This record gives sequence, structure tokens and C-alpha cells, in this order.
Amino acid sequence: MGFENIRKAVIEMDDQKVEQLVHEALGKNCEGIDILDNGLIAGMKEVGKLFARKEYYVPEVLLASEAFYAGFNIINPLIKSSARKPKAKVVMGVVEGDIHDIGKNIVKVMMEASGYQVIDLGRNVPTPRFVESVEKERPTVLALSSLMTTTMVHMGDIISELEKKKLRDTVNVIVGGAPVNEDFAKKIKADGYSPDALSAVQLIERFISG
Amino acid sequence: MDKISAVIDHERQSAVFPLVCADHCAYLLNYKFSEVATCGQKLAEVLAYGYELYRYDMVLVFSDPYVEAQALGCPITFDPYPTLLGPKSHNRLDRTHEIAEAAQILKNKVDVPIFVSIKGPFSLAAFLGGIEHFLKILLKKEEEAFSLLQEAMQFQNTYLDTLLHLGINIFIGDPLSSSSVISPTIFSKYALDPIKALVQKIKEQGVLAGIHICGDTNPIITTLDTIGADILSVEDITIATRTVRMGGVSTHTILHGNADRITAEVKDALNNRPLIFSTSCDVPPQTNPDSIRTMLQSVREYSGS
Repeated sequence: MGFENIRKAVIEMDDQKVEQLVHEALGKNCEGIDILDNGLIAGMKEVGKLFARKEYYVPEVLLASEAFYAGFNIINPLIKSSARKPKAKVVMGVVEGDIHDIGKNIVKVMMEASGYQVIDLGRNVPTPRFVESVEKERPTVLALSSLMTTTMVHMGDIISELEKKKLRDTVNVIVGGAPVNEDFAKKIKADGYSPDALSAVQLIERFISG
Repeated sequence: MDKISAVIDHERQSAVFPLVCADHCAYLLNYKFSEVATCGQKLAEVLAYGYELYRYDMVLVFSDPYVEAQALGCPITFDPYPTLLGPKSHNRLDRTHEIAEAAQILKNKVDVPIFVSIKGPFSLAAFLGGIEHFLKILLKKEEEAFSLLQEAMQFQNTYLDTLLHLGINIFIGDPLSSSSVISPTIFSKYALDPIKALVQKIKEQGVLAGIHICGDTNPIITTLDTIGADILSVEDITIATRTVRMGGVSTHTILHGNADRITAEVKDALNNRPLIFSTSCDVPPQTNPDSIRTMLQSVREYSGS
């Protein structure tokens, strides 16, 4: 069964319709994993492309994310863990002193929609908490976000701390946010910089494909 | 005639003002920012210090983006730098009179034009409603969005009356209306008319009006050019406009770049004159003063200003 209607409802940012259509699909004994992959995730991938092409902007992506989660939250508990093995684990958060998390949340939904397990540390996260999380969770990627020039310096601190704890080689660190760019990423010895959510996912794809 | 007005009147090709604000000056003086942001005299003191240190061609009275939002009840923390903690609640702290006091002191003290930075009604409305919530209701609950905009506009009209009474020039900063955040369609629907109304009011008083929008403004630059402001401070200054542009050196370069890189960006910007050479956004507090001096020297040397 195709799930074009669910995909379309995500793209059209209609959370109520997504919820209704997901319930209908489950009522017809459709597999949760199929609804997720071919409806919700397919919709969110298209939203990411529309955002990259500047056909969608932040408000549209926020509403599409709501629509995605309206379906995801129904389906997720029904999917057997063996049916959907995450591609990789990502720890992410907004650095200390910064509470701007819209960008981080958009990246999170795109990563979840792309099959990654995301451990979201939230916003205003102190440096030691990032380091502890890398030590405990052993993620493939640590994604750091900052919207302020006054807080972006903490990204370098986190990488230095990872080096001190001999954890730096265990994880790929990527950075993003309005004041950050490629030069800054190189300067603090991050593994990558991403200007938007879609390219963050593409960056991670490159890491896991070696 | 001062250099800024001369550029606007096409009598000069260039002037210079890196967007040095109170946080950078307070950082250099090792002042606690909360004290600077809440005291007009101290705000004037740090901005006068910045002017004496660098001798640029105007002074911008800007402590933080949340002055008006806090006056309308948004919770703010100043530690270590101003941060908006959430949408409006009931705890109002009005610092607008401190800003006006600082502007008045500086007007009497320094010999270059003084501008006060106020928030564009669109960004202020977003602060009042909570940024994420506001961005969502733009598409789904127009009435609520317009109601917040109206509240923002009412406040800015009154605040502007106070500032214009002092004969001060005005810069309207509207970061959330950039095309990095909203579409040109949403910009035209919600953000454009309020800015236009404020600019018209400023111009009627015979003082200068600037607009600063950081992020991507290319999709709306021709619209911005029709507003009637004197200055457009934007990240990409390469698109020709009738309005005098301001910019040329990226904020990242001023914070992290070496002298060669800063000079190179100044030289690249020469073709875009008439221009007020500036940074694309506020100079970060921890910026090395030598980088700012390099920018000023390069502008003076290569543009002859």
C-alpha cells in the first residue's frame, strides 16, 4: 500500500490530517514501519528539499515537523526495535549560554526522519555534559549548535575537552548555527560544518559511509 | 556636514562604522553587562569609550535586542550576555528611558551622528509571542499574529516619539524578518508595512533612518529599497540599491580573521560604494580591538575617507 496521502499531509503541514490518516492506515493493518518510511519520512525528506531550495522557510518546516511528529508519536511505540535499526547514534545540543533551539530542533527532526537515533541534550548544555554523553553513549556523531557569537566559543571548548579525555577520535563532531561557518569549524578542529538541516544529514551519511 | 549624511547625500563615497555596540565596549572595560544595560549613564560611558578608542563616523546606542520586549514583560537574563528567556509574562522592566538618557548624553558629548537602535515590530512581536510559536502562527493563526504585531507597533510608536523628541537618528533592527527565517511573501504580509510606517515617521522628523537585517536579505532587497530609509545595513552589499548600503566585512572575519583577510574584505567592498563600511552584524564582545583598528585603517587608506 502506498502512503502518498500521509506524505502529502506532512508536506502540507496538516498535523490533524496526518494523525487521522495514520490511524486509518493502522486500522487497515498496515505495518507501522511502512507508514513511517513511505509516508512520514518520505514527507519530511521532501520538506527538507523544499527548505534547501528556499521554497519552504522556518515557519513551514516547524509546522511540517509538528505534522511529522503527530504521526511518528503514534507509530513509534508500535514498531519493534528489530524492525528499524538506527543507522547511527547522534548526540546533539545547543551549547552553554544559548537557549536558541529552533535550528537544533529542525536538524533533530530531519535526522530522526532519516533513520538516526538522536539523543537530544536540549539547550544551554554545559560542556561537561556533552563530554559525559559522548563517553556514555558512544555516538557516531556529536552535533553542536549555537546562534550567538558569544556562545559559539564553547564549541571549541567541547572539542578540547574531548581531546583531554581521549574521546576525540571516537566521535565525529559537526557544528552549525547562524554565526558558524566552514572556517570556524576548521579552526576549532570540528569534523564538519553544516549550514542547514538537510546538509547536516548528508554530512552524517558521508561519515557512516566512510 | 558629517560623513554619514554626506554619503547619504552622495557628497562622499564612503564612511565607516563597524557595528560596535555596548557589549564589546563593556567587555573591554571589564564592566558587568547587567550594569551597563540597565543604566543610561553607564551605557553612554561605554559607548563614548568605544568612540574615543576607534573614532568611527557614527555611534549606535544599542545595548541588546530585548529592551522593548522586556518593557512589555518578556523575561531576560543578562548573565553573561542578554538572553531572551521566553514570551511575555507579567514582569515588566522598562529600560527605554535609560536608552533615551544614554542617547541624550552622547548627543551632547560626541561630534558624530548618534543613532538609537530599536526593534522592528515583526521581531518584537516574535519575542512577545515566543519566537517558535510566533513563526508557526504566521501560517495558521493570522489573527493572533497580527494582534501581537499591533501590540509591538503601538509600543514602538510611543518609544519612537520619545527618541524623536531628542532629535536622534534611528536604526531599526529586524533580524527575524530576514529570508533566512521567513519567505518574502510572509515578509511582505507581516513585516513590511510596520517598518515602512516607522521609517515614514522618522523621516517626517527630519532625522536619519537606517534598517538592519542580518542573514539573507537578497530575496527582499528590492522591497527594502522601496521603503524610503537612508541606510540599508545588510550582509550582502553587492546588489545595487538606491538606498545607501552599509556593510562589507563579515562578522566572522572581524572576530576570527587576520589583518590580511580584513583588509581584503574592505578592498572587495570598494566597488560597492557609495557605502558605509561596516560589519555585517554586531561586533562580538570578545573581538580583538586590533581587528577593528585594521578595518578602520583599511577603509581610510583605500577609500580615502
